[in-house]
Amino acid sequence: MADYDDFARAQLPRLLRYATMLTGEREQAADLVQDVLVKMYRHWPRISGTDHPDRYVLRMVTNGYLSWRHSWSARVIASGDLPDEARADDFASDHAAREDMWQRLARLPKRQRAVVVLRYYEQLPDFEIAGLLGCAQATVRAHAHKALASLRNGLAIEQMAEARETR
Amino acid sequence: MNLENLIKDTFTAREHGAPDSDAVLAAARRRIDSRRSGLSRPLAVAAGATVLTLGAVTAVVLNRPDAAEQPQTIATAANGPQDSQAPATPAPAGLQMPYSLGWLPPGSVAYRAQRINIGAGAASPDVPLYGGEYMLTVTADGQVLEVDVQQFRMVTVDEAMFKSGPGKSVTIKGQRGVESSVSAGPGGYELYVAHPDGGSMYVHVSAEHGSTAPAQQLVDTGRRIAENIQFPGTTTVTPAFGLRDLPGGMRICAFNVQQGLDRSPAAPKTSTSYSLGTCAVLPTVHVSSAVVGEPAGTPGQPVQGRETRHVDENGYQRLWVLDAIGGAPVVVAGRVPEAALYDIANRLVLPS
Repeated sequence: MADYDDFARAQLPRLLRYATMLTGEREQAADLVQDVLVKMYRHWPRISGTDHPDRYVLRMVTNGYLSWRHSWSARVIASGDLPDEARADDFASDHAAREDMWQRLARLPKRQRAVVVLRYYEQLPDFEIAGLLGCAQATVRAHAHKALASLRNGLAIEQMAEARETR
Repeated sequence: MNLENLIKDTFTAREHGAPDSDAVLAAARRRIDSRRSGLSRPLAVAAGATVLTLGAVTAVVLNRPDAAEQPQTIATAANGPQDSQAPATPAPAGLQMPYSLGWLPPGSVAYRAQRINIGAGAASPDVPLYGGEYMLTVTADGQVLEVDVQQFRMVTVDEAMFKSGPGKSVTIKGQRGVESSVSAGPGGYELYVAHPDGGSMYVHVSAEHGSTAPAQQLVDTGRRIAENIQFPGTTTVTPAFGLRDLPGGMRICAFNVQQGLDRSPAAPKTSTSYSLGTCAVLPTVHVSSAVVGEPAGTPGQPVQGRETRHVDENGYQRLWVLDAIGGAPVVVAGRVPEAALYDIANRLVLPS
């Protein structure tokens, strides 16, 4: 199955980055993709015969994240307290803003996070996201809308922008 | 910077945290090779019965479609040895699953069982709620079935999503459900059945690639598994290693116990990982014997008389305890101070 190895090696960096964005954790991303690689091997004759095996495997990672293994980040859990109120100084650096955003992303429900990752990291159009998630485009837009509203809520950069506008 | 650009930048900034490709591929290859060489039978017990309990503290009742169709009560490890392959060394305390499988199809079983933390109840915010999953490979007479059973506390039957095919309504022991059956392909038989306390239970049965099973067999198997799920769980799985006396406020938020990947006699029979934390925030420390890649870093302080390796990757600390389980290492990792990793490492319960 040399073609399996070639395909796996070619796709793996992207899949691992994608899984990292989904799960938010290196160890869990490794577990998730490892599971997908094993399943991919089992079903390789069928997968390799599809028009877009890369998209098929991306879907496997997505489904894995949304189903059990995935249980990972489904843990409804916060990764730390958000500041009661944002102060401009706290977010003066881009680094601080990204760290804050990473924590906010960790709080999203899994489907919302998947939509955000697919839209803003994989940069897929909504109709392709809908295809990957097996839902309607309207559902994708609804997830994205809710996610962005959650991510924006109390976000410092928004407050800073508002502050600048009112000066 | 607008919100969408900040999201993109945040993802880009985290790309460096992705795992190493070669290590993940090598680990996957080991699992593939292990499967190709045949399934071990650590869970096979007398008379063809199968029990997902090693070192259990309670009995597990399995209904089986064999013999006289009588329920069998399988004695636990506490009552006597069941498994000739069980490790000779004292095992760490069993880990209890949130629910049990009261029935499994006949055959030997390779398994992966995990418990996860899914937050806390509204009435008791300090008490974590747990969910769980069993991933089983059941082999009998050359037929290989893959069984996945998991609890979705957050997914109702109405939100069911199937791998293939539309769903149709079904009733399982008085509970509303929806099922989908496709005789071939990844879909197999899928069933979501409502859980009395909310959410749903998901059962998926399919034939392993290269194996075949009649569609009706998959349906019958999946329904029967669903009918016999038991709450609360009494099934325990024995980890490859344990943890004792965690520091204040720290809990085992999640665990994952998997049948060993390496079939050599010296290798551990199972691999185990834990996610530790308060369970109110994301787990902060991961402890695992399913080590991906070779231990790296510089020699650290000895732990329990064993050599260690330590590496700091931009604040993400890893501490390998070498020769921890049958010659294999255990890694303790997290974005925490190095001293916290040593503290956890010294609480590992390792086989002697």
